[in-house]
Amino acid sequence: MTGTLIIGLSIAMMLFLLAAGLTIIFGMLGVINFAHGVLYMVGGFIAVEVVNQTGNFWLSLLVAPLAVAALSALLEILLLRPLYDRDHVEQLLMTFGIILVLDEVVRTVWGLGYHDIPLPGSLSGAIPVFDSDVAVYRLFLIGAGLIAGLGLFALIEWTKLGIVLRGAMTHPAMVRSLGIPVSTIRTIVFALGGGLAALAGTIAAPLIPIQVGMGFGIIVDCFIVVILGGLGNIRGAIAAALLLGLVRAFGQQYFPEWIELSTYLVLMIVLLWRPQGLFTFSKGRKA
Amino acid sequence: MTRGKWHLNLTLATVIPLAVIVLSFLGGAPLHTLLSLIVVWSIFAIGFDLIFGLTGIISFGHAAFFGIGAYAYAVLTLSWGVSEGVALLAAILFGTVLGALFGIVSLRISGIYFGLTTLIMAEMVNHLIAIKLKRWTGGTDGLAGVSRPEILGLNVYDDHIYLMLLVLVFWLVLLGAAVLRASAYGQVLSAIRQNPVRAEQLGYDVSMYKCSAFAISGGVSGLAGALLGGLIYYVGPQMTHWATSGDVLIMTVLGGRGTFAGPVVGVALFEFLREGVGDISDHWHGLLGLIFIAVTLWMPGGVVGLIQERVRRRRALRAELRRATIRTEGAT
Repeated sequence: MTGTLIIGLSIAMMLFLLAAGLTIIFGMLGVINFAHGVLYMVGGFIAVEVVNQTGNFWLSLLVAPLAVAALSALLEILLLRPLYDRDHVEQLLMTFGIILVLDEVVRTVWGLGYHDIPLPGSLSGAIPVFDSDVAVYRLFLIGAGLIAGLGLFALIEWTKLGIVLRGAMTHPAMVRSLGIPVSTIRTIVFALGGGLAALAGTIAAPLIPIQVGMGFGIIVDCFIVVILGGLGNIRGAIAAALLLGLVRAFGQQYFPEWIELSTYLVLMIVLLWRPQGLFTFSKGRKA
Repeated sequence: MTRGKWHLNLTLATVIPLAVIVLSFLGGAPLHTLLSLIVVWSIFAIGFDLIFGLTGIISFGHAAFFGIGAYAYAVLTLSWGVSEGVALLAAILFGTVLGALFGIVSLRISGIYFGLTTLIMAEMVNHLIAIKLKRWTGGTDGLAGVSRPEILGLNVYDDHIYLMLLVLVFWLVLLGAAVLRASAYGQVLSAIRQNPVRAEQLGYDVSMYKCSAFAISGGVSGLAGALLGGLIYYVGPQMTHWATSGDVLIMTVLGGRGTFAGPVVGVALFEFLREGVGDISDHWHGLLGLIFIAVTLWMPGGVVGLIQERVRRRRALRAELRRATIRTEGAT
C-alpha cells in the first residue's frame, strides 16, 4: 500500500516536471510544445552518455538539463520566433517538425536499442516505510521533483522575473512598452521548460529504459495532465499530475489490464463535463 | 467561391485521375504500386483537408478513422465472410460514425486543446485495436491476406487493374470534394474557418457543421484505409498510429492546405520523394522533418499556395500594365 503510494507519487512528480514546463510554455508563448516529450528523451540520452563517459550520475543531473535548455533556446530563437505573429496552428506544426528531426538525430547517434544506467550507489537500496520497503531512489525522485516544483513556483510567484513572466503572459504589449525585452523572456521560458523536461528525463534514466519513442508515450500523459489541470495553470498541473500518478500506480496494482483505457475514458468524461479543466475555477483561458 | 474556381476544380477533378491513368502505362509493377499508394493516400489527404484546410480545425487523430476503416473492411471480409463491396461501405460507415464521435467529444473545447484531444482519442483507438480487441484485430500482428473489392468480374488482383479501380474511386472523391467546396455547405465550413464567431452570429449552428464535417472527413478517411488494406493485402495497428496522422498532415501542408489540389500534390511529392531519396531512406523521417520545418517557415501555403500566389501576382501586374496603357493612350 505505502509502496504503491510512493510509486504513484514518484510518477506524479515526473509528470509534474514535464507538465509544468509544457504549461508555462503555453501560458507564456501560446505554443503547445509537441516536442516536449522529445526534449525529455534527449535529456535521458544525454544523461546516459554522461554516466557512461564519467560514471557520475550527479554530473548528468547538471549537464543534461543545461544542454537541453541551450538546445531549446536555440530552437525557440531559430524556429518559433518567426511564427508568433501567425496562427497558433503554425507553431504546433513547427514543434511537430522538431519531433521528426530530433527523433532522427537521436536514432542516428544512439541507435534504436534501449539504454539504461545503474542506480547511483548512494541512492540504491530500500528503506522500510511503515509496512513496506521503499526504494530510496523513488524517495529521491519525489524529493527532487518537490524541490524543482517549489523552485519553479517560488520563481513565478515571488521573484521579479516571475512578475515579468506573468505580466508578459497576459499583457505582452504593456510589458514590452515598459522596456522589457519580451522576446528574450520567451526564449528563457522555452529554455526553462526544455530544461525541466530534460531534468525529468535524467531522473527517469535509472528507472526506465531510455529509447527512441519514449517521448511520445510521455507526451500523451502530459497532455492528459494539462487538459485535466487546465492549460497554463501550474497549480492545476500539480493536482492533475498527482491524480494521474496515483491512478497509474494503483491501477497497475489492481487492474493493470484496464489502466490505459480508463485514463482515456476519464479524460473524455472530464472534457464533456468540465472542458475548462478540473482544477480551473475561474473562467479559464481559452486556447 | 468564384465561378472560375469551381470550373478549375471540376477540370482538375477529371484531369488528375486521367493523368494517373496515362502515367500508369509508362511503367511496370513498381510504378503501379507507387501510383496506387499515391491515389489511396490522396483520398485520405482530401478527407483530412476537409477538416484541416477547409474548416480550419487541426486534427492529430485522423489515423483513427483511416485505421478503423481498414480494420472494418478486413475483419468483415476475413472473419465474417461479408462481400467486399458491402465491407467497403461498412468501412465508410465506421469512419463516419467515429468521426462524428470525435466531433462530439472534441468540439466541446476550442482551438489548440482540440489537437491534443484528437491525438489522445486516436491513441485510445490505437490501444483498443492493438491490445483490447486482439481477438478480432490480430493485435500487434495485424491481419494478413486482406482481399480486394471486386467489380464487374475484373481481375482486381492484377495491380494495374486494381489501380484503375482506385482511380475510379479517386475520381468520384475528387468530384465530391469539388461539389462540396462549391456548395452552400462548403461555404459555411469555410466561413467557420475564417471567423467562427461571426458564422455563429449569422445563425449557423457551428457545432453541427463541424461535427458533420468530421463525419464526412472520417468516412472518406475510412474508405482510404480500406482501399489501402486491399492494396497491400494487410492491415496493422500502425495504420492507427500517430505517425500516420502525422504523415497525412505533412502531406497536406506540403501540397497546400485548404486548396483543392494541394493534398494530392502533397501526397505525390511525399511518395516520389520517398522513392527518390533511395540510399538515405533510413533517415526519411528526419529529412521529412527538415522539409516540413522549411515549408512551415517559408512556404506556409505549400506548393499550391505558392503557385496561387505567383498567379495572383502576375494577374495584378497585368491589370496594372493594362491600366497604365489606357492612361497613356488617354493622354495622347
